[in-house]
Amino acid sequence: MAKPLLGLIFGIIAGSFFPLDIMGAYTKLFSVVLLVALDSVFGGLRASVNKNFSDMVFISGFLTNALFAAFLVFVGDRLGIDLYYVALLVFGFRIFKNLAGLRRHFLKNF
Amino acid sequence: MQRIFYGGWSIMFVCAIIGFMLAVQFRQVRDSQATVPNQRLEEVSGRLIQVEEERDELAKRLEILQQETNSWMNQELISELKIQACVTPLEGEGIIVKMDDSTRAAKSGENPNLYLIHDDDLLRVINELRAAGAEAISINGQRLIATSEIRCAGPTLSVNNVRSSPPYEIHAVGDKKSLENAITMRGGVAETLKVWGIQLEVTASDNVYIPPYKGTSKRVYSKVVDEK
Repeated sequence: MAKPLLGLIFGIIAGSFFPLDIMGAYTKLFSVVLLVALDSVFGGLRASVNKNFSDMVFISGFLTNALFAAFLVFVGDRLGIDLYYVALLVFGFRIFKNLAGLRRHFLKNF
Repeated sequence: MQRIFYGGWSIMFVCAIIGFMLAVQFRQVRDSQATVPNQRLEEVSGRLIQVEEERDELAKRLEILQQETNSWMNQELISELKIQACVTPLEGEGIIVKMDDSTRAAKSGENPNLYLIHDDDLLRVINELRAAGAEAISINGQRLIATSEIRCAGPTLSVNNVRSSPPYEIHAVGDKKSLENAITMRGGVAETLKVWGIQLEVTASDNVYIPPYKGTSKRVYSKVVDEK
């Protein structure tokens, strides 16, 4: 249980001191990738409570989702269509779905 | 409690990425909200103070230099020329004209510019005053000299390259009766401006103060030659 929290804290500390500035043009990309990461974590947690977690599936899912979402943002920018809304909606939806799965599991077990 | 976690390491890794991004974004939003306008404000106000100091220093130097020249030239001629050059304050009978933008709101479809004071309105008043024999004129404390300009500078008016905003106060020294009549006569400036609701108020006075010209004079292109 402690490892995800540990990772989060470590990331926040690293981010606070890392001299990185995101330019305005990349904020869309940033928001989409953030959502992808959140979705992956919730999906991973759900899989691990259901005991069908696989490292390969988890990491490859995270990477391909992030890459494809980034691709959508890039293409959307070129076409002048806000395609990244697609990614935002889908991943937002999936986060809540995964959260619901986790909740059900814990409700069943306690 | 049963062991519920598998793959903690990879989840931890992605969590670290989330934390990193959150922190970076948070820091950036905070920085952009808090510091940028303040920084700009400090920068601009600092420059203002600096320029004001410079201005005061230059004004002091001008005074010193003027005193120096005074001491070694014919005092009478100098003072007469100074009056001609508008660099001495004057006082005498005359009128004070106060002008302000219209309080009336523009009707829809009408040009709202009609209800504001423009440079040409002021120029007409000044022209009338000069025609009526005004000896010295100032607008909002700016002495009108031969090279003074009166022009719109956005919503403000620039006289002698100094900007001022309404209400405008025109001081004029001269025969107060004829000056007053020149402005308020039937079909004159006051009547035309009243159509647009522009406020114009004329007060005659026995001691109207006219400040001196405080700017500099530059002569680059003109040369003194014999009369042809």
